[in-house]
Amino acid sequence: MDSDDDMHDANDVESMDEDFYSGEADDYYNSDNADVDDYEFVEDADADSDVFTARRHQQNYIILKEEDIRQRQENDITGVAGVLSIPRDAAITLLRHYNWSVSKVHDAWFSDEDRVRKAVGLLAKPVVEHPNLREFTCGICFESHQRDKIMSVACGHPFCITCWAGYISTSIIDGPGCLTLRCPDPSCGAAVGQDMINLLARKEEKAKYSQYLLRSYIEDNRKTKWCPAPGCEYAVEFAAGSEGYDVSCLCSFNFCWNCTEEAHRPVDCGTVGRWIMKNSAESENMNWILANSKPCPKCKRPIEKNQGCMHMTCTPPCKFEFCWLCLGAWTDHGERTGGFYACNRYEAAKQEGAYDEAERRREMAKNSLERYTHYYERWASNQSSRQKALADLHQMQTVHLDILSDAQCQPESQLKFIIEAWQQIVECRRVLKWTYAYGYYLAEYEHAKKQFFEYLQGEAESGLERLHQCAEKELHQFLDDESPSSNFNDFRTKLAGLTSVTRNYFENLVRALENGLSDVESHGGCSRAASSKNGGSSKASRGGGRGKGIASTRAGCSRTDDASHWSCDQCTYANARSATTCKMCQHRR
Amino acid sequence: MTSSSATSRKALSKIASNRLQKELVEWQVNPPVGFKHKVTDNLQRWVIEVNGAPGTLYANETYQLQVDFPEHYPMEAPQVIFLPPAPLHPHIYSNGHICLDILYDSWSPAMTVSSVCISILSMLSSSTVKQRPEDNDRYVKNCRNGRSPKETRWWFHDDKV
Repeated sequence: MDSDDDMHDANDVESMDEDFYSGEADDYYNSDNADVDDYEFVEDADADSDVFTARRHQQNYIILKEEDIRQRQENDITGVAGVLSIPRDAAITLLRHYNWSVSKVHDAWFSDEDRVRKAVGLLAKPVVEHPNLREFTCGICFESHQRDKIMSVACGHPFCITCWAGYISTSIIDGPGCLTLRCPDPSCGAAVGQDMINLLARKEEKAKYSQYLLRSYIEDNRKTKWCPAPGCEYAVEFAAGSEGYDVSCLCSFNFCWNCTEEAHRPVDCGTVGRWIMKNSAESENMNWILANSKPCPKCKRPIEKNQGCMHMTCTPPCKFEFCWLCLGAWTDHGERTGGFYACNRYEAAKQEGAYDEAERRREMAKNSLERYTHYYERWASNQSSRQKALADLHQMQTVHLDILSDAQCQPESQLKFIIEAWQQIVECRRVLKWTYAYGYYLAEYEHAKKQFFEYLQGEAESGLERLHQCAEKELHQFLDDESPSSNFNDFRTKLAGLTSVTRNYFENLVRALENGLSDVESHGGCSRAASSKNGGSSKASRGGGRGKGIASTRAGCSRTDDASHWSCDQCTYANARSATTCKMCQHRR
Repeated sequence: MTSSSATSRKALSKIASNRLQKELVEWQVNPPVGFKHKVTDNLQRWVIEVNGAPGTLYANETYQLQVDFPEHYPMEAPQVIFLPPAPLHPHIYSNGHICLDILYDSWSPAMTVSSVCISILSMLSSSTVKQRPEDNDRYVKNCRNGRSPKETRWWFHDDKV
């Protein structure tokens, strides 16, 4: 969906994500103390900043290319073969059986080798032995063969080379099940390993087998997954127990490790799953059809009635003429039934209750559809807005930055703030998009939460709008300047300030939503009062105090905090009293 | 079985043909107890009579199995169905399809018609109730147009019967 646009921005998106959630003040991964400081993060910022800086580049996953995967797989195989003193293909069989977990192989093997051998089909000695025979009967074709035309795996069941080759070939064509191939004898579980495959399979079959083996290493391993982006061949190894599931692949696709959908913070995986299912499912279309159309009584095709009279004519080839109200044939409509435009059969039927059920279903479907459409439209428009912003970011990097650098006599390194602003916009659009899925699933009865959520979301929308506006519109005048503009430095300060404020706002928004807006409950009446007050006045405040930080909003409910903060004139950020310059935009007090 | 699926079937490969000849000879010398091969000159389709084992729910009953062999038999499993009327059994559908793993996923080229027959008889004999599978109607409806049971994704959830 967005992979095409993402592609050419590979490096930018990546660099963007690296320092995205790891601003000096807050750490993305640190949600432990987040619930305390969700909104009043200001005070702790200084104290914590060192710790967070130290952790900021900690990455909890590794992207693996094909050669990396093969290398790792090879290391595991030789490692196990060495430690257990078993042949290479036996090590493969074992590892595959234990989902490529070296430690599980070791544990199982050293606690009960016999049991493990039996389970995976690694026989210690043959079950049938016929040392002195010169001729054997193949167990598949039932022909007699010379000893040199007969092969068997560890069990000793004799099959001729042709039948072995056919057996192996059939199983490889069948799919990855060939990795657990056993001796053809139905009573025998002896494993058929890669050595046998390499001896008897054709070249393309061997390649296919080796590909299955590689795939198994990623797919059966709990610590690794393929990047879900279409056409991407990288895999990701994820460190167990780490917080935050967002992974940024080298192909520039950002996805959630847990559910492998695109990155979706602050919404949890379950909600995303339901939302995606809802979007893709025909159920919504069905609801729409149910609400706005009726099936043609003859050919059963759904028909939408936009306006006009009740005399319907189905599209060719059906061409059935019927009455929209009663769905009866139009030919029945005449003087007898009360005239063409007063179909009394409908009224009569409705009184008898014949249409009630169908009508009520239509009505209910219509309501639920309206609600869904509300959220879906906003979700989708933020999605397309993000795509547009990505394209603009690209345009900025490839074209405009150059022009601007000439026009304003600034080295490009001094214009980094513009790129950062656009990267911020792209990320914010992503977050904002998912808040609509969040909103859709927020329980109706949680009024306080819902109000607070809608307030936060409204502020986020308007704050981002301000940043987007500044980066898009205000920047343009500087592109056309003949000579360097004296206002450019002001613009820089403003845009950088807005970027930083918006980043902070969204980071806090993400955390607040991830905590399930727990503040609303834990702060009881206080925040309810605050949120309902704010909720009520959010329209007004959007006009005036746009993009106010959440921190300053919260100050309204706990007056005591007021004295310890000052609000920046330029960006409205609530700074600790001790600070002399704004933490966000460096504006002097 | 519709004529279309019968004609679309490819002739037996040489290997398959040889192997079936051998199986047939072996069958004539040593037929599995309770089964009778109805001799035809069609090597690719065997019709086999099954007699319910004495002392079981199917004692004194006779059914007919139809075994069709694919081009690459025995690498590929034969298609085995009951000709109507199919026995009432929790794993046998009214269209004659049999839910038995060795006929599908667990087939091995080292198995034979004879060993398949014995498995089917043992499946019949261990049944404690004469009834159709729970999803019989749905399944049979899905199998119209002469679909082969080998195209079904079987779910072998019960190995008791």
